[in-house]
Amino acid sequence: MNDLGPGDRVLTDWRAAAARFEAEVAKAIVGQERAIRLVTIAVFARGHVMLEGDVGVGKTTLLRAVARALGGGYERVEGTVDMMPTDLIYHTDLGPDGRPRIDPGPVLARAEDLSVFFFNEINRARPQVHALLLRLMAERSVQAFGRTYAFPNLQVFADRNRVEREETFELPAAARDRFLMEIGLDAPRDPTVRRALVFDPRFHDTDRLVAEVAEGVLDHHRIGGIAGMIQHAVRAEPAIEAYVVALWEALVRPAEAGIRLPGLDTAALVQGGASPRGVAFLVRAARVRAWLEGRDWLGPEDVRAVFPEVMAHRVFLEPVHEMRRDEIVPALCRAVFETVPAP
Amino acid sequence: MRTRALPPSLALLFLSAGLADAQLRSVEVRSPRPFGVFLGDLVEAQVDILADPGFSLQRASLPQPGPVTYWLDLRTIALDETASGAVRRVRLRLTYQAFYAALDARTLEVPGFAVTLASPSAGGVSTATVQVPGWSLGVSPLREVQPQRREDPAEYLRPDGRGERIASRPLFAGAAGLGALAIVAALATAHDRAWGPFRRRRGRPFAAALRALRRQRAPDPDQAYRGALLALHRGLDQADGRRVLAEDLGAFLDRHAAFREQAAGLRRFFEASRLAFFGGRIAEARATWPRAEAEAVLTRLAAAERRA
Repeated sequence: MNDLGPGDRVLTDWRAAAARFEAEVAKAIVGQERAIRLVTIAVFARGHVMLEGDVGVGKTTLLRAVARALGGGYERVEGTVDMMPTDLIYHTDLGPDGRPRIDPGPVLARAEDLSVFFFNEINRARPQVHALLLRLMAERSVQAFGRTYAFPNLQVFADRNRVEREETFELPAAARDRFLMEIGLDAPRDPTVRRALVFDPRFHDTDRLVAEVAEGVLDHHRIGGIAGMIQHAVRAEPAIEAYVVALWEALVRPAEAGIRLPGLDTAALVQGGASPRGVAFLVRAARVRAWLEGRDWLGPEDVRAVFPEVMAHRVFLEPVHEMRRDEIVPALCRAVFETVPAP
Repeated sequence: MRTRALPPSLALLFLSAGLADAQLRSVEVRSPRPFGVFLGDLVEAQVDILADPGFSLQRASLPQPGPVTYWLDLRTIALDETASGAVRRVRLRLTYQAFYAALDARTLEVPGFAVTLASPSAGGVSTATVQVPGWSLGVSPLREVQPQRREDPAEYLRPDGRGERIASRPLFAGAAGLGALAIVAALATAHDRAWGPFRRRRGRPFAAALRALRRQRAPDPDQAYRGALLALHRGLDQADGRRVLAEDLGAFLDRHAAFREQAAGLRRFFEASRLAFFGGRIAEARATWPRAEAEAVLTRLAAAERRA
């Protein structure tokens, strides 16, 4: 069903480019089609992405492949306990002439060309660093050396190890709310993919693997404009607007929507969250998904496809249930979609 | 107690031959079964001493539990003194254990012993020594019992112990009550689990949807068309127990094989529904998949549902 008019030639061309982008990234990352699709949606929704997963499942490889296919400046930092915000802005050293020098840090090194900023192990950094990152994500700018640096094309990717809890700093809710998606990455379950990952030497050298990805498949300078076009081109009918609002309502007040979860009192389950910004992000991501599927209108499937990644981390449960959120929130999201009628 | 229950004729009776003292009335040794004793058997004996009132047994004169002879141990000794009328009765309950490894049936002599009775009075304490006579015990190898001869063979037999009669009426009443309770509980469980007669008939969501569709009387054709689509949507949702979106159709047909024949119709329904509700092109949807088609598909689905 191609519902795009002839005037939307640009968007059609960009859709083909997006498909090429996905195909290139898939060369380096096997068995993660869903994660790649979600990252693509995030790229065209101009949203920041948090990757969560065990160690060694390919979080970094995925992001390196995405950065390479996206083109533009790419910087990467590793979060540590002793990292300070200034470590991102500048670093000081002694030059060859023996005089102290101040060089731009990772954030400023590529200046305005920076398109992908990859923060590894973000929960190991201190809240001061999170605060700087908050500004970088929300306003795409930082203040340094007496002037404001703007990064119009910047997209922040962060990853977080979900196993370790020692010496980590939980991200504040405000910072988490600014990530468009939190994508959980698990090792592929398909036995043939698993065999290939373990035995095929191609997957052992990640540098060579990432080098196979074609560079700059997308023109990262123009993505911002295209993202705006997508948001305007994909229509939302009253039926889908009502559907999204009903989903939102059911997520925040599950008991009133008639949702029952085994072993849980849904009336005393959700404390809050699911901010209007979050739901706006949801619709933004869903519109990109509709565009990738070749439609110029938003359908309930588009909302459902991005819902867990966009909304799950914005829901705050009552403290007693917070420790079990990894099982409760996905079940709640599933129940919401099984309960709210569409149309 | 056990000995007292015996008929006196079966008890062995030894009367002390020479009751030198006038204070002593009689000494009697009873044993419930003085024969057929096997190696290691416990042998009970009861000694009744009748004496004048005022006399009581001196405990220190009782034999000590322990070996009596090389083949016999005294295990326990219990004392029971009662005054019955003008007679003082002293009853000793002795438990021996025989260790004689008999190769043939033979009679062995259990040695007697002496106890002292004492009566305190104003002038001092008067004592009397009572000689409890020995008695004989028939030990046997494992076979061939050799009891002492009796005139009447019936005397060899001991009556059975009489058990208390159990009242059966309350037991029957209890069983009946618990049985009734079990039936009630089984019915409650069956109702809860929807077993047997409580198994609810599967709902007929498509039949209900068809009825709802036929009931609709909307003046606006677009509204009527939307109503028809919604009826079919609700039927699908009910049949699956969850909301079925267009992309779920394959999974729905996998779960409900009965409706697989309607796959083509359902696919076109979802296309039309998406156009009408989300694509904003209701006129186009009505043209490609009219309301009559919705009714036809629902009728076929309801028929498939009846057959399933």
